[in-house]
Amino acid sequence: MMGKKKTRMLQHGLVYLSALILCGFSLIPILWGLSTSVKPEFLLYKPEWIPSQVTFQHYADILKNPLMAAYFKNSSVIALGSTFFSLVIGIMAAYGFSRFKFRGRETLLWSILFFQIFPRVVILIPFYITLKNLNILGSYAGLILVYLIVILPVSVWLLKGFIDKIPHEIEEAAVIDGCSTFSMLWRIVIPMIFPAIAAVAMYSFVLAWNEFLFALVFSSGNETRPLAVGLAFFIDEQGVRWGDLMAASILMSIPAILVFSAAQKLLMKGLSEGAVKG
Amino acid sequence: MNTLQRELHKKTPVIRFQRSFRKNMSAYLLILPCVLLLALMMVYPVFQTIRFSLFDVKLPSFDMQFSGLSNFARIFSKDEIATVFSNTFVWIIGSIILKFILGFWAAIIFNTKVKGGVFLRILCLLPWTMPSIASSNLWRWILQSDTGLLNEFLRSYGMGALARNWLGDPQTAIYAVMVANAWAGFPFVMLMILAAMQGIPKELYEAGEIDGAGPVQLFLNITLPILKPIIIVVLLLQIISNMNSFDMLYVLTGGGPGGASETLGLFIYRLGFTNFDFGGASAISIALLVIAFGFFIFYSLMNNKVKRGEA
Repeated sequence: MMGKKKTRMLQHGLVYLSALILCGFSLIPILWGLSTSVKPEFLLYKPEWIPSQVTFQHYADILKNPLMAAYFKNSSVIALGSTFFSLVIGIMAAYGFSRFKFRGRETLLWSILFFQIFPRVVILIPFYITLKNLNILGSYAGLILVYLIVILPVSVWLLKGFIDKIPHEIEEAAVIDGCSTFSMLWRIVIPMIFPAIAAVAMYSFVLAWNEFLFALVFSSGNETRPLAVGLAFFIDEQGVRWGDLMAASILMSIPAILVFSAAQKLLMKGLSEGAVKG
Repeated sequence: MNTLQRELHKKTPVIRFQRSFRKNMSAYLLILPCVLLLALMMVYPVFQTIRFSLFDVKLPSFDMQFSGLSNFARIFSKDEIATVFSNTFVWIIGSIILKFILGFWAAIIFNTKVKGGVFLRILCLLPWTMPSIASSNLWRWILQSDTGLLNEFLRSYGMGALARNWLGDPQTAIYAVMVANAWAGFPFVMLMILAAMQGIPKELYEAGEIDGAGPVQLFLNITLPILKPIIIVVLLLQIISNMNSFDMLYVLTGGGPGGASETLGLFIYRLGFTNFDFGGASAISIALLVIAFGFFIFYSLMNNKVKRGEA
């Protein structure tokens, strides 16, 4: 009996020790950045975790910077636009794929999945050529279109998984009552899969907000350049201003971190289901 | 009556088609935007790229002159191509090993029910939620040669000899970024493995314990075999995602020093948008596309097996 108790305690000790190491590894860069972001200039290069003097000057600098405000606006427009269209198009397609058996359904579904695992670096040049030909290179529309392609496969597959689980009977009853496909979608299906819609919305928003490579190539100038690109070129004549850069990086991370912590449980469920289904 | 109807259906394919079309009208309408969009942005671009890869493209006017396979020949005879491929290989393998060690370790730890486990798990997820550019900046600051946290730490604990210009030394550059990449990516591996672990019925372990199996044996004989399909799927996703890596390398080293950390992504970007060699960039994109397609076939086969619970 004692032996078992001892092993249990040892096990718990090991678990906590490991968790401590892993969390330490995860948190150190973030905490160090956070610490740097509130240090006055003269403390910047001192190895102090908790600064002896705290200032919010770096945050004020970033928030007052008109360029940063423009980047922030661009990121918001692009992320919200991508979210909106990926939801509208995604819900429609997911419902179509879930409820109707038509020719080519399986093939289409799998080819949609193909886009998900398509290497982004490979489609960089093809996308560039296409956006150029469509004359939307360097516009919000161009970036939103590109993000839609990345988001839609996930959106369609995840939503379809949830719609598959809704019993047909409810819709059949609605059909008898003379409900059209679209009003059924709006009145019955959407309210029932709301958690999945929230998950897709969060995923879309964070993806478009965080993405860098496409943003770098397809945005142009300060008119459409989003935060990610702005932060990558955050260097002026005096070299890198680390305090400001850390403050800006942390500010940029806030929306993503908020969304993910809110969706932690949902995300885990979606992922485990999505993983098996594709 | 029913038999008659069925007979009718069989005998008149035209009517059958009309009916099925009318029945499926809404389905086609529903999926149309999605399919159109994907076709516009995937089929057309790939077609364009194949065309570009076979032409000599003059920028900025996009004058085209057919040149056969000369783009392919030029790209694949470049001096740096071998380095680029070996860097990409090292990067993918190294990143996956690091992410899997950390991810598996974390999944095992957080699969045990201990107080505060959920809170600690959320803390471990944080790196994954950070925008890649923000993460890159955090690591750039830590890996700085003269004032970075890592070198400061080494110096203050008498290991100053180990301190080096992590990102500026061709020996260490790619590995330093790899650690940052694993930091940002291991929580995803953890999430996937953990989700699968939580689906394993407890009875299996109880039965194993009764038979006198230790924790290591339980892990090797119960956990691993059950996790095998999900491990393969995660592995494939990771190969693709690390092949895609761009952000961290771009910000931390820019592929340098002297191409020591230049992977395929950076190479294509440099060809297309620094050298403006669109024909060459298209040629290498097409070559990779073929590889990616092979991967996809393999992936969907695996995924189907996972779905049917065969693997």
